[in-house]
Amino acid sequence: MAARSLWNGTIVFGAVTVPIKLHAAVESRTVHFHEVHLADGARIEHRRFCSKEEREVPKDEVVRGYEIREGEYVVVDKEEIDAAAGTRSRIIEVEHFVDVEQIDPALYDHPYFLGAGTGGADAYRLLHDAMERTSRAAIGRFTFHNREYLAAIRPYEDVLVLHTLRFADELVAADELELPDAGRQPDEREVKMAAQLVQTLHEDFDPRRYRDEYRELVLKAIEAKAEGKEPPRDTPPARDGSDDLLAALQASLKGT
Amino acid sequence: VPRALWNGSLSFGLVNVPVALYSAVRDLDVHFHELHAKDGARIETRRFCSEEDREVPYEEIGRGYDLDGKQVVFTDEELEALAPARTRTIEIQAFVDLAEIDPILFDHPYWLVPTGESQGPLRAYRLLVEVMGSTDRVALGRFVMRTKEYLVAVRIRDGLLALTTMRFADEIRDTKEIDSGARKPAKGQLDQAVALIDALTTGWDPSRYEDRYRERLKAIVRKKEKGQTIKAPAQEKEPGATPDLMAALRKTLDEIGGRGRGGNGGSPEDLEQLSRDELYRRAQDADVPGRSSMSKEELVGALSRTR
Repeated sequence: MAARSLWNGTIVFGAVTVPIKLHAAVESRTVHFHEVHLADGARIEHRRFCSKEEREVPKDEVVRGYEIREGEYVVVDKEEIDAAAGTRSRIIEVEHFVDVEQIDPALYDHPYFLGAGTGGADAYRLLHDAMERTSRAAIGRFTFHNREYLAAIRPYEDVLVLHTLRFADELVAADELELPDAGRQPDEREVKMAAQLVQTLHEDFDPRRYRDEYRELVLKAIEAKAEGKEPPRDTPPARDGSDDLLAALQASLKGT
Repeated sequence: VPRALWNGSLSFGLVNVPVALYSAVRDLDVHFHELHAKDGARIETRRFCSEEDREVPYEEIGRGYDLDGKQVVFTDEELEALAPARTRTIEIQAFVDLAEIDPILFDHPYWLVPTGESQGPLRAYRLLVEVMGSTDRVALGRFVMRTKEYLVAVRIRDGLLALTTMRFADEIRDTKEIDSGARKPAKGQLDQAVALIDALTTGWDPSRYEDRYRERLKAIVRKKEKGQTIKAPAQEKEPGATPDLMAALRKTLDEIGGRGRGGNGGSPEDLEQLSRDELYRRAQDADVPGRSSMSKEELVGALSRTR
């Protein structure tokens, strides 16, 4: 059984077209709660109120406005907002290819899987294998739900993954943050010991080794509470809050 | 000045550094507010108890979970008390090579900034920057923020600790059900495709891409303010599957080799020098669909894509 697709379209580079289907790549497993009134356990409802009339407003009396000056709005309807999507709702044109490792991790936003579309089995495989051999990603624009994104497409296992990317101007630069005064530089011994500690704790990355332990804790607490028991608690380890960096490094190295 | 989203400490062995977490992403989206159509007043969302039909202040709200039809309710304090250490500490557990982390795991980027007056922890922060900055290593850790646990990668960027939250491996779907196409391309085809990718490869420069969607949306709002009507642009037709891959690869390679990149309209930089009328004339010649409703920058974009 093939997975259901969220979007169908075509990747274009030069005269080559690759029909594709878009699928979800992420399935959030966060434990979701809903809002309840503590007094009676009833569900909380969100209701819309007009701030001027102090009364509830049905959905069909609500419009969307952009605040052009303080307190002054330009009303824009859904079709007009959708017009910003551009002219390529089904086409991802590859603008160029780049080395995957040059893309800063901070730019990756949301991933989707791409499957081969109708009549595109050969072209899909070719694009996948050629990018895999060259460690490249294809960069292009992708329009989804009437919004245009910058996207990187690259091989992942046996399929292609499409990442929407953040734009460079969305990233906050380091020099925009306020930092405390520098103070004394770490000395040579401290640097050496810290480097040793980094080396000792170095390992190969295996994402499957990390489970969401907090999720398990929350689920256990829910079960305990349902049975009227006290939820289990995670006890914090004792921390040495001392100012002596060298001593802390020494103690850490001894512990590894 | 950005606001700290979380305060706590970064722990590395027995070394603790008090840190504040800031988002490394700013919201530049064009936001719309809900308004009451009749009087243009802002809409407010209020929380009501569905049973009592009255407004409920935030302090009276808890978190409910349906466990096999039975509702279990927690207060925020109870949830926070579940894992106090994880909520206050980013615990570094290992160091790995950045290249080993698949980008599919990366979620949201943040900055970690040292806080507090004390000199020892501040020096510890700088120590991490210095030691990790000289390698391609990233620190792996985990912490809980707003009742969700995150696996995080901490690395050095521009002399500061940059933290990226990651998805857990079990949140990435299996690729088994995704149609991965044909078995294997013919060697000749693969060589041609690699040659084509090489020819179209440039250095990565993120500042080269602007959010055209954001700009178009702003233009729509400006037009609307002036009382102009907004028309949806005609959609370009989706091309069909390539019947002969080898021929298409050869044709594209020839075109790139023969003319350099750009083609018909020239580079976007050259096109930007032209007036909208001149751009529109060229768009007519190139038969660009939807050209009559395009702005100048859209015409530049469309023409630079025509070959």
